[in-house]
Amino acid sequence: MLEEVGNMMLLTGRTLVSAVRPPYPYGSEFVGQFLFAMRLCWFPLLVSTIAFGYEAPGLQAANFLVLFGALDRLGGFFVLASIREFAPFVDAIVLAGVAGTAITADLGARKIREELDALEVLGVDPIKNLVVPRFLALMLLTGLFDIYALIFGVFGGILATVVNHAPLGPFFATFFNNAETTDLWGSVVKTTLFGAIIAIVCCYKGMTASGGAEGVGRAVNQAVVIAFLGIFAFNYAFTQTLLATHPDITTIIK
Amino acid sequence: MRDDAHSQRGDVKRTDGKAVSRVSVVDESPPRPGPPEGAADEEYRWHSYAVHPSGRPDAVRFVDTYKSFGRSHVLRGLNMALPEGMVSMILGPSGTGKSVCIKHMVGLLYPDSGDVLVHGRSVPDMPDDELFEMRKKFGLLFQDGALFGSMNLFDNVAFPLRQHTEKGDDEIEEIVMRRLNEVGLGDSRTRMPNELSGGMRKRAGFARALVLEPDILLFDEPDSGLDPVRTALLGELILEIHREMIEEAKRKQREHLPTFCVVTHDIMSARRVADYINVLWKGRIVEAGPAEEMLGSENPFIRQFLSGESQGPLTMD
Ligand SMILES: Nc1ncnc2c1ncn2[C@@H]1O[C@H](COP(=O)(O)OP(=O)(O)OP(=O)(O)O)[C@@H](O)[C@H]1O
Ligand SMILES: [Mg+2]
Repeated sequence: MLEEVGNMMLLTGRTLVSAVRPPYPYGSEFVGQFLFAMRLCWFPLLVSTIAFGYEAPGLQAANFLVLFGALDRLGGFFVLASIREFAPFVDAIVLAGVAGTAITADLGARKIREELDALEVLGVDPIKNLVVPRFLALMLLTGLFDIYALIFGVFGGILATVVNHAPLGPFFATFFNNAETTDLWGSVVKTTLFGAIIAIVCCYKGMTASGGAEGVGRAVNQAVVIAFLGIFAFNYAFTQTLLATHPDITTIIK
Repeated sequence: MRDDAHSQRGDVKRTDGKAVSRVSVVDESPPRPGPPEGAADEEYRWHSYAVHPSGRPDAVRFVDTYKSFGRSHVLRGLNMALPEGMVSMILGPSGTGKSVCIKHMVGLLYPDSGDVLVHGRSVPDMPDDELFEMRKKFGLLFQDGALFGSMNLFDNVAFPLRQHTEKGDDEIEEIVMRRLNEVGLGDSRTRMPNELSGGMRKRAGFARALVLEPDILLFDEPDSGLDPVRTALLGELILEIHREMIEEAKRKQREHLPTFCVVTHDIMSARRVADYINVLWKGRIVEAGPAEEMLGSENPFIRQFLSGESQGPLTMD
């Protein structure tokens, strides 16, 4: 297990070096992977963000806030909940579960068929030509999809406000009072790095798959679990750092 | 020129027939090495370790190579050579590490200890850039073909040319179609690998390994999954291509003569095609030498294996 983490760190390092060192043959593969992952993810993400935004922070928090007669604070709550945590998480979970698994399955199948070995013998560096484009594509896509998840998450919150027969004015007022640019860029940076974690874990698991078709299935399973763990651990560290370095965002403004 | 290539084969055989060298070589060989750690001497009793000289420099040489995967010890002090300009065979029971050997030659696997030399240079010690260059010397047919699933047959075979040469589309087309026709797949050029049978994928992999006309060609069981007629034809094709490439290399005064290495279970094709035979078992060479001497070997294991009989030292375990 520790050895695997070490190997993934190593892969991250080699991917970064390989990404910046010329030549850059991975352009078309990057575009292809980006579009491929986008096609796979946009709909599941749409459904899960609205559902999540509506149900978890929306309905549940609304029920809770109604107790205090404070439903007008739902907007403020949404900044904390949605921008900082829910949207990035839903985003990462959908990307790891849908795009990440597809990457692991694809690379794993190629590994099993010895295509990756054949590429290497034919002078094609699998890191530069396969890992780097997936790494960059997933980072960009996860970052962009964060904003997308945010929008639909907030839409879920609006839906919850409306369902509770509350006016939308205070929702937006407290939302924008509390929203700071730090929140937004923090959220986007965080998810971009989530994308990096997903890409590395899923590529690594795919490229080291062994033991036939069964082995590919195993690799996909492990990739999802490790990616989730990695995201949780990283998120904890990131949130702690962000709160410590930007104390202003901890105050909740009425 | 073709006769010249023939006589070259003949040369080898002539040197073999020259004397009762078989016996003398065994006698002159250094003291018998001990068994690998953790193995009983008994297990290696059929390993005579006799190596009959080929009279050629080695294109590839394994020196005391050890390789384990976890608890499975695959190469256990392997000493093996592929002589330059010859068609060598690696024969051995299933699961003895023949494919593992091939992967060591091209730097896809690294030995735990010992060395692998290609034209005298150590592969495990090569920095990445050099390894990259070195691999261009190789053409490799993987055991399962290893075609790229996202490309059709033509693109698969053209891939090495596009990757490593500046050749124009017309020239690439001509080379690729010649190779595809040689293996009988000219009509299937636009088909995808997953639409092909195992044997067809194998033949396409064969064509892909050849297009760059490399110095060293490694074929991992080119004949498995082929029908008997195609197996025989493939054997002839290998010989013919080898002859052509030897001629070509001589004409261009290349530094190294083309070396072929075929891994196979098929004793018949070994008899027809091989100039030199390595018999691998339990991670070491049992005996190696020019084909004629090997086919006349006194070693019961070699005799059993080369005649494919069920009676003898080799059993199911
Ligand atoms: N990458 C690997 N990881 C773990 N074990 C491996 C690996 N590659 C090979 N092995 C093991 O090494 C042993 C030798 O495998 P290899 O494929 O070289 O056999 P082989 O001689 O080519 O057999 P066959 O004639 O059936 O192809 C097998 O026991 C196999 O399980
Ligand atoms: Mg094999």
